Amino acid sequence: MRQRARNVRLIGWTLLLEAWRRREVYAIVLVTTALLIGLRCVRFFEMEELGKFYREISLKVMNVTTAATVILLAARQLPREFSDRTIYPLLAKPVARLEFLLGKFLGVMGAGVFCYALFMAVFLVGSVTLEAPMNMALFAQSVYLQVLSLGVLASLVFLLSMLLNADAAVTIAAILYLTSQVFMTLMSYLYDYVSRTGRCALLAMHFIVPQLTLFDPSAKTVHSVSRTVVGDAIEQTVVWRALPAGTLLQLTVYAAVYAILYLGAAHLLFRRRPL
Amino acid sequence: MGTGEPSGSGGGAPCGGGAPCGGGPVIEVEDLVVEYKTRRRKVRAVQGVSFRVNEGECVGFIGPNGAGKSSTIKALMGFIFPAAGRITVFGQPAGTVESKLRIGYLPEVALYYPFLKGTELLKLYGGLHRVPPRTLRERIPRLLEAVGLSEVGDRLIRNYSKGMQQRLGIAQALIAEPECLIFDELSSGLDPVGRHDLRRVLLDLKARGATIFFSSHELHEVEALCDRVIAIHKGEVLFDLPLAALKERAGAAGLEECFMSLIREREGER
Repeated sequence: MRQRARNVRLIGWTLLLEAWRRREVYAIVLVTTALLIGLRCVRFFEMEELGKFYREISLKVMNVTTAATVILLAARQLPREFSDRTIYPLLAKPVARLEFLLGKFLGVMGAGVFCYALFMAVFLVGSVTLEAPMNMALFAQSVYLQVLSLGVLASLVFLLSMLLNADAAVTIAAILYLTSQVFMTLMSYLYDYVSRTGRCALLAMHFIVPQLTLFDPSAKTVHSVSRTVVGDAIEQTVVWRALPAGTLLQLTVYAAVYAILYLGAAHLLFRRRPL
Repeated sequence: MGTGEPSGSGGGAPCGGGAPCGGGPVIEVEDLVVEYKTRRRKVRAVQGVSFRVNEGECVGFIGPNGAGKSSTIKALMGFIFPAAGRITVFGQPAGTVESKLRIGYLPEVALYYPFLKGTELLKLYGGLHRVPPRTLRERIPRLLEAVGLSEVGDRLIRNYSKGMQQRLGIAQALIAEPECLIFDELSSGLDPVGRHDLRRVLLDLKARGATIFFSSHELHEVEALCDRVIAIHKGEVLFDLPLAALKERAGAAGLEECFMSLIREREGER
């Protein structure tokens, strides 16, 4: 068991090192960092509640770009191992194919979390000077949930990359991500207005495509505290409290189930795949 | 060469000069069938191949292009799955973690992570092969020196030439000091100096009792290293003979002519 964990760690670390030296995510990291800094510097018509505006946009940008990083990295891993033939010497070592897959997953997650942490640092530095209170417990929870959603997304992309080439996997993953972000919220409204077949299709989509919006309480985080001026004093009211532990646990289980299902399916395809 | 004694080579008596080897079977292949699926039909690359490689033996696996050498070796490593037949390595089914623990493998086309350094790659493969980090720290410089890469160990692999990558491939195959070495196309991509160095490494390992199984197009290479030769043609074993017996059969005509006449004989039988 210890050796298995060591194998997974070694493969994950190699992925991180290679991604860093290949400068694969440099562009995304640089553009996002510049965007976050730029957003902080702009004074939007001396708006009140500027802090909330900055935070809302920044969190959206961070979530989307981290997801893009994870999609790009995860989609390339397996196809590149096959095309570069680096998989042969690696799998000739006493490494199970599942360990290989988990190592790649760990590496992609490491890169995603690293990017997110970097963006978060820039965001927090920009945020600290703004006079807009925020429920920090809810904020910490939203960071945790974003990491969970990255795990679901990475495992989905690994499954897609077993079925498709890297470019197609990126495209389909991006479409599914956007679908999950935009379309899924409309689904409940649409459900009442479509035919029986349409309902079946919507229901199937509901279960196949993970509901990533569940992992994004950024709007609640930003608007978690409201300020009202009462006479000379400013009164703060907590609008959105931190999520109950039970909800957090349910979301963790939800993410784990989807990640295990996607990775399990990817493993089923990979374990009998001729190299 | 200082590549160290293969661990746990047991009672396998080193054999050379065509002497029969007394060790038990390391590789056993029985009625192996390998098929590739194309869109319309199945193509049989290997049909009913059987052979055995004993402990301490050095066996050459020869045959023309498309004979089924690489398919057999890929099946041995668990990269592809036989349509029929049985393969065991050290008594374990081929491709399992247990079977790979005691094998060092060099692929036909050696490509390694281009953005790792030579030393990092060996550290990765050594770690995966369960070599303790302390042993790796001592072994990696020794191996790099043995394959002539000690000067460039700290360079990124993308800056290596093809020959240097092949040498690195040899080093990674030896990183765990395995009991059995499986090389697919032994000296492909190596210049004459590289071939000479590789031959020296292999002769040293052979003298220490390692089991070596390699495919090659080069008959003089087979002649210089092997105790036994297995030839394969159109997916079937053409002959499986000790080198001495093959040389006797070839006589003055030489191995190449002998091999060609055996192929012609087989074609005639068809």
